[in-house]
Amino acid sequence: MKKFLFMSALLVFAVMMSMAPHAAMAADPVNIGVLVPLTGIVAQGGVEMKYGIEMAAEEKGTVLGRPIKLIVEDTQVKPPVAVTKAEKLVYKDNCKALIGVFSSGVGLALAQNIDKLNVPFLTTHVMTTQLYDLHPLVFRSGQLANDQTAVGNVKGILARENLKNRTYYVLVHDYSWGHDAGERFIALAKQNGIKIYNEKYDKAPISTKDWSSYISKIKASGVDGIYMAFITNVIPVFAKQAADFGLQAQGVKLVSAAAPGPLEMEAGGEACHGIFGASDWSWDVNNPTSDAWEMRFWEKFKTIPSDAAVHSYVGAMNLFNAIEKAGSTDAKAIADALRGISYDGPYGTVRISAKDNCMRNDAVLTETMAAPDNPFGAKVYMKVLETFPANELGPAE
Amino acid sequence: MGGALSTSVDITLNSLVLGGVFLIVATGLNIIYGLSRVMNLAHGSLYAIGAYAGYTLTTIGFNYFAAIVIAPVLVAAVGLLLERTIISPMRKRSMVYTLILTYGLMFFLDGLIKQSWGNEPRFVELPAMIKSTIPILGSHYPVFRLVTLFIIAGVMTGLMLFLNKTKIGIILRAASTIPEMVSCLGINMKHVHIGAFVLGCALAGIAGTIAGPLTTIDPLMGHEMLISSFVVIVIGGLGSLRGAVFAALLIGAVQTLAEFFITDLAMVIVYMLMAVILAFMPRGLLGEGRFE
Repeated sequence: MKKFLFMSALLVFAVMMSMAPHAAMAADPVNIGVLVPLTGIVAQGGVEMKYGIEMAAEEKGTVLGRPIKLIVEDTQVKPPVAVTKAEKLVYKDNCKALIGVFSSGVGLALAQNIDKLNVPFLTTHVMTTQLYDLHPLVFRSGQLANDQTAVGNVKGILARENLKNRTYYVLVHDYSWGHDAGERFIALAKQNGIKIYNEKYDKAPISTKDWSSYISKIKASGVDGIYMAFITNVIPVFAKQAADFGLQAQGVKLVSAAAPGPLEMEAGGEACHGIFGASDWSWDVNNPTSDAWEMRFWEKFKTIPSDAAVHSYVGAMNLFNAIEKAGSTDAKAIADALRGISYDGPYGTVRISAKDNCMRNDAVLTETMAAPDNPFGAKVYMKVLETFPANELGPAE
Repeated sequence: MGGALSTSVDITLNSLVLGGVFLIVATGLNIIYGLSRVMNLAHGSLYAIGAYAGYTLTTIGFNYFAAIVIAPVLVAAVGLLLERTIISPMRKRSMVYTLILTYGLMFFLDGLIKQSWGNEPRFVELPAMIKSTIPILGSHYPVFRLVTLFIIAGVMTGLMLFLNKTKIGIILRAASTIPEMVSCLGINMKHVHIGAFVLGCALAGIAGTIAGPLTTIDPLMGHEMLISSFVVIVIGGLGSLRGAVFAALLIGAVQTLAEFFITDLAMVIVYMLMAVILAFMPRGLLGEGRFE
């Protein structure tokens, strides 16, 4: 009897012990590393990215029955800092995936280290075309890639009477994204008969504050269009200085490779009117999902819904759904699940291509102008002029 | 739209405006260094505070021209506070201490700016009368940039008159050359140090206020300006006001021309120029430490 009781107690103990880790695991959160710039030139964009990911995590609630824990780190838009922070997130904080990242330079630096980190990395803001099929663990679900933006902008220029038949001066920020964006646009524009003034496009340092010399050069060229590839919050700065010199008043049109941030546009005011550009989304996109998302975002953060936030939200949803689909937090399983996954969100279906790990989705051509009455109190907004289906933006699969 | 003459006008005026802003910032830095041997690495942040103060004043209803007067006073008050609480206790120690101290102060002030005004860039609303462009030899040049040039000229003329024609200015100049003698004459050097620091900060404030509408206002705007100002005072000669004038105009012209003609290498050219000048004139164009 004693032996039976002892064996029973041992069995119960063993069963309890075997269950204990599972019980603990059920309560353990799934840690996700969020890498965004919270200091430096694009800090505002970083805050909006963080908001989008936080909103997605809150709305998703759990993955694999476990809470989602976001651990946010500031990349300072510096590749070495981002790599160090990623190592901290993976090795110390046990993050199962990395998400976010602004700047192609930072994104590519992280991608180079992804074998060592051995977790899926999904960027919501790296636009360089180098990301296509770069690594089995590297994904993009966010802002349009440079080739997609170039297609959108060239289609937009050709579709708009006030944009076509102009000669464009190309000016970019001097780093990998700017170069890639400039080259993609020039190549495609030439194929489509759009005149480019400077095929060896100009490159301005990211630290440029005073654009007067560049504007004087553009004035001297006699062009009537400018294609600019600047970090988002610099777009209104350039537009404002160009307006100071009377460029827009003299009929020069501005086309941008990136969407300007809403708060920066508000600060720029009227000087920010008349900037054209292809992007995923603006709050002028009217569908029930988009409208509802905008209001939820506004209620939560009391800030104008931005494309930076919406890209990050959609990217995060794709990542969380992939973890769910994978059924585990194993890196390879999540990566396999990410390939081909899609999410129906504020800008339609965003699908991550199984061929090259980068997203395909519809996009819009917008023009910045005075906003109609809106719940966010915005005075400037990106009015949707054209919509381009995903299959037209490419790349082909 | 283009034309050689109008382009030359643009380039000349742009370089004068750029050089003028460099000059005011560098002069402030130089006065502080020349009189109290404090290399103020927080000077760029004070420049940024000047810009934000100007922005805030115009936002709450002050005229831009009133903001140009009030904002530097506010920055000078911040400078007085910093000098009395942080800089002064360190003055008797090696310059390295104040260098490290002001380096930390720079980050503190940058953080304060970010907390107070946020990350997004700010634009100053200018009076309607100076928002237009004016035709000059075929170029349509922004009126407020010309106004800025006049303000810079006015500030520098006023400063030169102050330093050369007033008793306080003469004491400051003497203190930069032979502080011991000035002290022997019964002048309290503590007051000289305070005056120099406050004057330098006020100049940073003026520069920030006038630079705001020229470019844009953001929390890190002072960093690039600090670097450019160092280039100016290193080329001009540490502590030399006349050297700073030459160097600021030279850097303004070189940077503007380089951005126009050799766009991709503009900043490289500026730093190459600094390296060449220092290689042949290690003490800068006009040597070190005199308010001439």
